[in-house]
Amino acid sequence: MSPSPDESAPLFDISGLHYRYAGAQADALADLDLEVHEGEFVAVLGANGSGKSTLARLLGGLDRPTAARRALACGHDLLAGDGRMAARRDVGVLFQNPENQLVAQCVEDDVAFGLENLAWPATDIGRRVDEMLARFGLEALRLREPHMLSGGQKQRTALAGVIAVPRRVLVLDEPTAMLDPAGRDEVLHAVREMRAEGLAIVYITQEMDEAVGADRVVALERGTEAYTGDAGGLFTDASLVRRLGLGVPAAGELALALGKRGHGLPGLPLTMDELLDALGAAT
Amino acid sequence: MKATIAQYYAGDSLLHRLDPRAKFVAVSALAVALFVRDSFAALAVYAAAAALAYVLSGVPVAWFWRAFRPLLWLVALTFVAQIVFAPGEPFFSFWFIDLSRRGLELAAYLSLRLVVLVLVGSVLTLTTPSMALTDGLAWLGRPLRRLRVPTDELALMVTIALRFIPTLLVELDTIMRAQRARGADFRRGGLRERMRSLVPVLVPLFVLSFRRADELALAMEARCYQPGAVRTRLHPLRAGRADAALLATTAAIIVTGLLV
Amino acid sequence: MSGFQAVAGALPGAPGGPDAPGAAGMSLACGHVSFSYEEARAPIPAVRDVSFELRAGGSLALMGASGSGKSTLLQVVRGLDAPESGAVLLDGAAPTDAGYAALQREVGLVFQAPELQLFASTARDDVAFGPRRLGWPEERVTSAVDTALDVVGLPPARFAERHPYALSGGEQRRLALAGVLAMRPRLLLLDEPFVSLDPGTRRQLVEILHRLKAAGVTLLLATHDVDLAWALCDELLVLGEGRLVAAGPWDFSPDGGRLLAANRLREPFFVELWRRLGRDPQRAPRNAAEAAEALS
Repeated sequence: MSPSPDESAPLFDISGLHYRYAGAQADALADLDLEVHEGEFVAVLGANGSGKSTLARLLGGLDRPTAARRALACGHDLLAGDGRMAARRDVGVLFQNPENQLVAQCVEDDVAFGLENLAWPATDIGRRVDEMLARFGLEALRLREPHMLSGGQKQRTALAGVIAVPRRVLVLDEPTAMLDPAGRDEVLHAVREMRAEGLAIVYITQEMDEAVGADRVVALERGTEAYTGDAGGLFTDASLVRRLGLGVPAAGELALALGKRGHGLPGLPLTMDELLDALGAAT
Repeated sequence: MKATIAQYYAGDSLLHRLDPRAKFVAVSALAVALFVRDSFAALAVYAAAAALAYVLSGVPVAWFWRAFRPLLWLVALTFVAQIVFAPGEPFFSFWFIDLSRRGLELAAYLSLRLVVLVLVGSVLTLTTPSMALTDGLAWLGRPLRRLRVPTDELALMVTIALRFIPTLLVELDTIMRAQRARGADFRRGGLRERMRSLVPVLVPLFVLSFRRADELALAMEARCYQPGAVRTRLHPLRAGRADAALLATTAAIIVTGLLV
Repeated sequence: MSGFQAVAGALPGAPGGPDAPGAAGMSLACGHVSFSYEEARAPIPAVRDVSFELRAGGSLALMGASGSGKSTLLQVVRGLDAPESGAVLLDGAAPTDAGYAALQREVGLVFQAPELQLFASTARDDVAFGPRRLGWPEERVTSAVDTALDVVGLPPARFAERHPYALSGGEQRRLALAGVLAMRPRLLLLDEPFVSLDPGTRRQLVEILHRLKAAGVTLLLATHDVDLAWALCDELLVLGEGRLVAAGPWDFSPDGGRLLAANRLREPFFVELWRRLGRDPQRAPRNAAEAAEALS
């Protein structure tokens, strides 16, 4: 059922994934395919109701798919109970609400929680917790209680707790949605660092500017795949972007508005520099 | 509005470093001993022991007073109740209150005993972080597992509940403010009206809590939590010689109290 | 949002509307307002010696880092807490003047988290809570509720009987706003209304606030989003650790730019764009539509 995975096998090998909530009329996820390899940064874009949070839970082995041709996470079969249990060890999941992920009464205890669940020896836990606190800039907050932390600090603590368990791939479900700009920057910085260290990441978001620079982009629409490929391909398709209901940064909004007035720009610029280039080229 | 319920005072005294299990056993034994025998002399012994424990804990008086103050009314009530209802020959009568010497003695004894009881219990909560205390209680409650009582899971539930109390208090406050901003007045009216005005406050709190429970459970499972599985601890409980000394000292104090 | 055209006339204070007092919006002045919480419960920032004026019908963005006192200030302005020193003047009236309490009831405050505000079993009942507390007759309550639901883009025919907790996040946010609008506020205070909103609802909310502004309602908006502040507000007020750091109309001169930067606020996107296109940043467009028009 769960052989030890080799380096070349994909971390996520999913084909024909379906999920339907009990009593629902339609699938939340329908016939979805997804492959993620070592070191990849895959952005999953979708508006509310596109199925992205459902996908996050399934990838983490936290829920049973309704059906799938193949659903392997780090070599573990997500259709099997013990496969899902094993997947929870290799796949880290960070959720949207920082408050509802913190379990313990102080930061260091919360970061230790996952390792305690895996019955690591106390000294190993201590060492790993110290490492995580240092890495995410949380040392000064070691004994702080959760309600005394800012949103960004809470989310960093939750992230440290998720990564404390050594993972092979990380799934982030709109991790900055509930944060203010300062908190958002803190979390994005931490994510960039992890990416630079080679950790495979599936980054789920509604905001296009958080998907910039991804190795690959998958766009969801009502549970099915509306686009898969590189970021550029999606970002140049203005009508698709509008249809998907994604959050477009100001530069893109301007390009879309110009398009409506018949002065469309080539492609969809996402940064001020790209916009200025496109405008320069247009005039 | 105070956000912390647990009275823990962070410190590094001798008492802080003792194992929570030993402390709990000692405190419980003393509490029982207080009720075994009615004697001012015994009470004095236990009171002296509690006072010594305070000095050793290094907790500032102000901190202790803040925790004790809400119970003052209970002590006063005990005193007054005894005076009014105690038997004995009255030496002074006023309306329906008969003050007898015995009554006064009883009132003083019971009130003082209550004070000593609170003191003894406070030493435990002031020097032990709640997580350590719940761990200790879970360990002591191990035998209950044979009766299929899920002690470890209960301990985790208590820890989580304590973790969220400050959060819930802030949310409760915000809910009430949002409604006051829409014209609600929680101070108005008689008991029934006030109770009714609490419903719009409790509903969002409950809904939020249920949603929170769902999300938290998911986050815990994502970090490999499994009810019933063996869990280690970042700070495992380690009893040592000092704890044995504590238990021995407590036994000596109790024996003294019984013999005095 | 077809609801808008039909109800524009019924917005608070708009000419011809059912509740049209003399002036539409309420003016606000804070004079040396200070406030702090006695006990430390989760770092609650204090407000220290804050003074500013907001004319009737004006729009002010209250900015500053988390913990700078924005929420505290809004709650003091609304009257949920009385200032320790200084005074909040509504339409020029001081707290000691007769009629001040009535003016306070015309100040609406929308909190950050809608789930902490909604409680009833139907959207209609929830929105009706405020108007009923004001003691309005039932027909007036119904009309106010229907109007408010229309204004926020939740047409009563479809949404009035829905359960608030069955609505999506964006719909809940709009429902919470409706609950405050139904009370016909002339001064509207909003505490970070755009946080965790999906892009669609964000756009809708900006439009709703624009309409309210056009109808003459005074707006005081606490936000950390400088682009949204630029889109909606004529003036800016920056708090730093409870103190007033900057106040007044947007200023993109070199001095103004330095002040913004010193408070970790970048220039609004369109202002920077205008600057880099060699145009006058002070006359930059407020949003994409205006920018597209100017550039075509």
